[in-house]
Amino acid sequence: MENILVKVEDISIQYKSITAVKNLSFDVKHGEIFAIIGPNGAGKTSAVECIEGLRQPTSGEIKVFGMTPHKNRKHIYQKIGIQLQEADYPDKIKVHELCKYYAAFYKNPADWRLVLQQLDLEKRAKTLVKKLSGGEKRKLSILLALLPKPQLLILDELTTGLDPEARRMIWQSLAHIRDSGTSIILVSHYLDEIEYLANRLLYLVDGENKFVGTLKEFRQFAKKQLAEKWNEQYTLEQIYLHLSPKKSNLRLEVLS
Amino acid sequence: MKQAITIFQLETKLYLRDFFSFFFTFAFPTLLLILYGSIYGNEPSDFFGGRGTIDVSIPAYCAMIIGVTGLMAFPLTLAHYKEHRIYKRFDATPVGKGFIIWIQIAVNVMMTIAGFIVLLLVGNILYDVTFDGNLFAISFAMLLSIATIFSIGFFFTAIARDSKMTNLLCYLSYFIMLFLSGATMPKEMFSDTLLTVSKFLPLTYVVDLLQGVFTGDLLTDYTVELLLLGAILLSCSIVGAILYRRKNWV
Repeated sequence: MENILVKVEDISIQYKSITAVKNLSFDVKHGEIFAIIGPNGAGKTSAVECIEGLRQPTSGEIKVFGMTPHKNRKHIYQKIGIQLQEADYPDKIKVHELCKYYAAFYKNPADWRLVLQQLDLEKRAKTLVKKLSGGEKRKLSILLALLPKPQLLILDELTTGLDPEARRMIWQSLAHIRDSGTSIILVSHYLDEIEYLANRLLYLVDGENKFVGTLKEFRQFAKKQLAEKWNEQYTLEQIYLHLSPKKSNLRLEVLS
Repeated sequence: MKQAITIFQLETKLYLRDFFSFFFTFAFPTLLLILYGSIYGNEPSDFFGGRGTIDVSIPAYCAMIIGVTGLMAFPLTLAHYKEHRIYKRFDATPVGKGFIIWIQIAVNVMMTIAGFIVLLLVGNILYDVTFDGNLFAISFAMLLSIATIFSIGFFFTAIARDSKMTNLLCYLSYFIMLFLSGATMPKEMFSDTLLTVSKFLPLTYVVDLLQGVFTGDLLTDYTVELLLLGAILLSCSIVGAILYRRKNWV
């Protein structure tokens, strides 16, 4: 029997008059990288924040390790590592101090010196966090998420704003983490990243589940949707752009 | 407990690394004390009812330190951490933001008391300052004053929609109270208009209360000050907490 870590059942999230997520259901299994894709405002972060227990769904139910996240935050946070889409750190703190700070939160934390070494950040240990480059800051956010020795890692737009080299370095780190047995929920706009890393994906549009399954199944789904426009050579990004409900009218010749 | 100690130590380091907080908590009141001491000395004066300039200045400078931590360091940190979603990240850990905020309050209170100690030591060593006050009365007055001024800073962060607005409220209130409450210049030098203005400033009652208990007056001689400070503490804490419940931390 497959080991299900996260079970999302028919959740909806409402902000005043706006429905961010509608009747969403999916699950995340042990040892997989589960990607969530979709355009801006599709409800990806709202859904993930409900799994993290930072928000409560308006209706429906979420179980993480069999527990309701917002009611069992203290227990759940001992088992999951989180990287938020938008979060910062105190201005005048150094890398090694921030590691000590976060390690103090957990009962049995990972050795942050070792993780610092594994993520190639040990030379920056005495640097102020605000002086780190974008790529180094992202690595640091992975490090902090790894401190609880998590069984599940939730990463929200981890590589946004990074150069291609830094992104690929982070992909390698994530592949290592997955291979060590940690499941990952990965929210991303980069389809090459999903193609490289993910086992299964959820495609959200306007808060609705358009597809959930493996990458191979997603290609079959897209083939049906695109009918005669389908091309076997399409990359995941090309498929995504063809499926996108917000097709851009911008023509390149306008720019030239 | 070990967890709280580690976080407390790191938050203390962060406090001391902030130049503004460090300078105005420790250096500025002491420099002011030395400056006034070198000009006026600490000889008994009729102007201060038979006490020396430094005798009456020390409790006033203690009020100044409470102003720095309560109206600047603590609320500005709170607003900065909230706006930059630092608390949100803490909320995604087993301890949560509430625990961190309580530690930050503890660090700021400790720094306030450390500022008092530095000031008292310098006063004692350089100007032979002694106090006739009862230790319990002085401690009670100091703690009530700290709690009240901190509650005002907390209230500012609750009503302000962003850190810019918090900065404005904190800087304005701090500098107005610094100069018009008797914390920097003795109220004996104020005109009638300034004295009237000072009656509307909470720090004025802190200065009066501290100067009183430091010279050996009883707490019961300051019922009005105690009641006023208590009322401000309760109202700012309760209204601030209600407003915070409605804030979106996510």
